[in-house]
Amino acid sequence: MKTHPMETPFSKKKKSCPFQAAGMKHVDYKDLETLKRFITERGKILPRRVSGVSAHYQRQLVLAIKRARYMALLPFVGEAS
Amino acid sequence: MKKERKFLYEGMYILSSVLTDETRQKVLDKITSSITDKGGEVHKIFDEGRKKMAYPIAKKREGYYFILYFTTPSKSIEPMWREYHLNEDLLRFVTLRVEAVPEKIEFQPLPEG
Repeated sequence: MKTHPMETPFSKKKKSCPFQAAGMKHVDYKDLETLKRFITERGKILPRRVSGVSAHYQRQLVLAIKRARYMALLPFVGEAS
Repeated sequence: MKKERKFLYEGMYILSSVLTDETRQKVLDKITSSITDKGGEVHKIFDEGRKKMAYPIAKKREGYYFILYFTTPSKSIEPMWREYHLNEDLLRFVTLRVEAVPEKIEFQPLPEG
């Protein structure tokens, strides 16, 4: 018998990777609209457990965000909310 | 003698935004000639225009962005960088290996959800 989600409070819901879903080959540091979805208001990179990105794409994403920061496309430190 | 290896590179450059159109062109020519002088070839130049930077660089809030695609021997990259660092109108640059020259700089948005 299948357990109801409420009965198992610690079971995690499986998230799907948005990059795999979109069939994107690689994450580009110039693609700001996509990168902005994976940083917080403070400019921090969202952890994988929150965004659900697969390990493969998270590695690319982290590099892309850091490149974009270096080229002043993204902030190192964002404004406080 | 080892065979010279050539690769396709992508370079993004931030030029100072206080330059006049004329001097900006001159600085860009200097960048491209530093590629061609070392046996490289420029394929495409994307003029991304003036953009507000996420944080000030060299006390400037705006920068003029260029994206260049070029092939050059891998040996020539280091002397090229050395020249770039001496250029005061060039605020920042990156040089990356890429697979192909894109038609235009555009990206598909990720689907929501």
